[in-house]
Amino acid sequence: MSEFAVHAEGVWKVFNEGAANEVTALSDVSLDVRKGEFVSLIGPSGCGKSTLLRVIADLTSASRGTVEVAGMTPQKAREDHQYGIAFQQAALLDWRTVRRNVELPLELAGWDKAKRQARALELLDMVQLHDFAESRPWELSGGMQQRVAIARSLATDPEILLMDEPFGALDEMTRERMQNELLRIAGATGTSVIFVTHSIPEAVYLSNRVVVMSPRPGRITHVVDVPLGDRNEDTRESDAFFEAVTAVREALRGRAKPVGEGGARLAETS
Amino acid sequence: MKARINLIWPPILIGALFLLAWQALVVIQDLKPYLLPAPSLIFTTFTSNLSLMVETGIYTATTAALGLVFGTLVGILLAMVAQRFFVFRNLMIPIAAGIAAVPIVALTPILNNMFDITSRTPRVLITAIVVFFPIFVNVYRGLTAVPPVQLELLRSLSATPRTVLRVLRIPNALPFFFTGLKVAAPLAVIAALVAEYFGGPQEGLGSKIAASAANTAYGRAWAYVVVAIIVGLAFYLITLALERVATPWAGRTRSA
Repeated sequence: MSEFAVHAEGVWKVFNEGAANEVTALSDVSLDVRKGEFVSLIGPSGCGKSTLLRVIADLTSASRGTVEVAGMTPQKAREDHQYGIAFQQAALLDWRTVRRNVELPLELAGWDKAKRQARALELLDMVQLHDFAESRPWELSGGMQQRVAIARSLATDPEILLMDEPFGALDEMTRERMQNELLRIAGATGTSVIFVTHSIPEAVYLSNRVVVMSPRPGRITHVVDVPLGDRNEDTRESDAFFEAVTAVREALRGRAKPVGEGGARLAETS
Repeated sequence: MKARINLIWPPILIGALFLLAWQALVVIQDLKPYLLPAPSLIFTTFTSNLSLMVETGIYTATTAALGLVFGTLVGILLAMVAQRFFVFRNLMIPIAAGIAAVPIVALTPILNNMFDITSRTPRVLITAIVVFFPIFVNVYRGLTAVPPVQLELLRSLSATPRTVLRVLRIPNALPFFFTGLKVAAPLAVIAALVAEYFGGPQEGLGSKIAASAANTAYGRAWAYVVVAIIVGLAFYLITLALERVATPWAGRTRSA
């Protein structure tokens, strides 16, 4: 087994290659995510952060380069249910109850009915929606729907959790609550998380490392370590937190010194 | 409950006023029944021939129901083929539009010649042709208009096209299907009636309306029209009830 949850090396993604409307979405991107690590991808629109996530998820394929997910090819990892994914939209199926939405990945993985029911209820317990198991998705608030989507993404107990701006559509208060919840869940399950976001404080609060990307062409410019230790209510108001936020902001503005030669290769941090 | 009652009364009141005005017009202007029979005449004709009315109504309703089921099944099947196989998609849509443009009035006598004179089949076929298009178009739309994020989710779960069809496309298409069915169901009654109007066995509302009008029995012709309206409404209401039961989530704000 690989020591990395995700290992990407020299990854390129070029859309419409060779055509007049050719777009380079990712150029020479390398990224290692260790097991149990929480890594955020941040950058302006068009910097390729979502594309990188989609390459890892095998929702699109890399044009060049190596990608390993849980020590296997992205396709194998996808077929093996090695990762769970959550999007900005909860993408729940309206015709299913909340519980049966959470059961969906288990259903497709061939679990029998009793087992997947028990597992779904356990997951709904974890996101504190046990009482809503038999509700319909449209009866829930946006934050609750997103919690259902997170429960669903964790259904098969995946090695890796991929999240594409999952809290982007939520209000600030709900968002902070969801962040705490996510950290608690990730800590309890030992899942590695790759988290795409637009929000600097969100990235800093959640992550062990923040990967800063820049557009045209999409590449990694900086990697900011966030040594904040265990997060709690005071973390968001601590000096260390503000320092990290400033560091990420500087990196986004391109003022900070790039990490490593050429900027794209990540420094191996212990 | 009170709001419900408030919703029910205005249309009934307006309907009653309309019939009253109609009756008054006929009496005051002394209109002859071939121009416009009075509602009272239509009503008495209706009640005194009740068993014949019901029998005729059931005959046409049966034709309409058979055509509706047949046209719906073909519409659903071809929509699924069009969604699944790209090659058929570009082929099927013009053909479907072509079928929608078939002049049923002209086709009826031709089909009548092809089948036995006592056969119900040509009428069922005509009805099916009319029903096919709204079903095909709506179901095709429902199968294909799936939120991209849900397709990605299912891809991340390595779902096969068949699983995607079962888990996502078919439930997604259900509300669209019922939109089509709500158009198709009353249309099926009209199509069956029109098909009866142009030859074939002397049964059904269309035949009876044509025969009554030919015999200057205008009150009877209008009574059959009333039966046709009742059958059409019944088809619509049954569809509505089915929709309520089958798609309780429809019309809600989407959660995605």
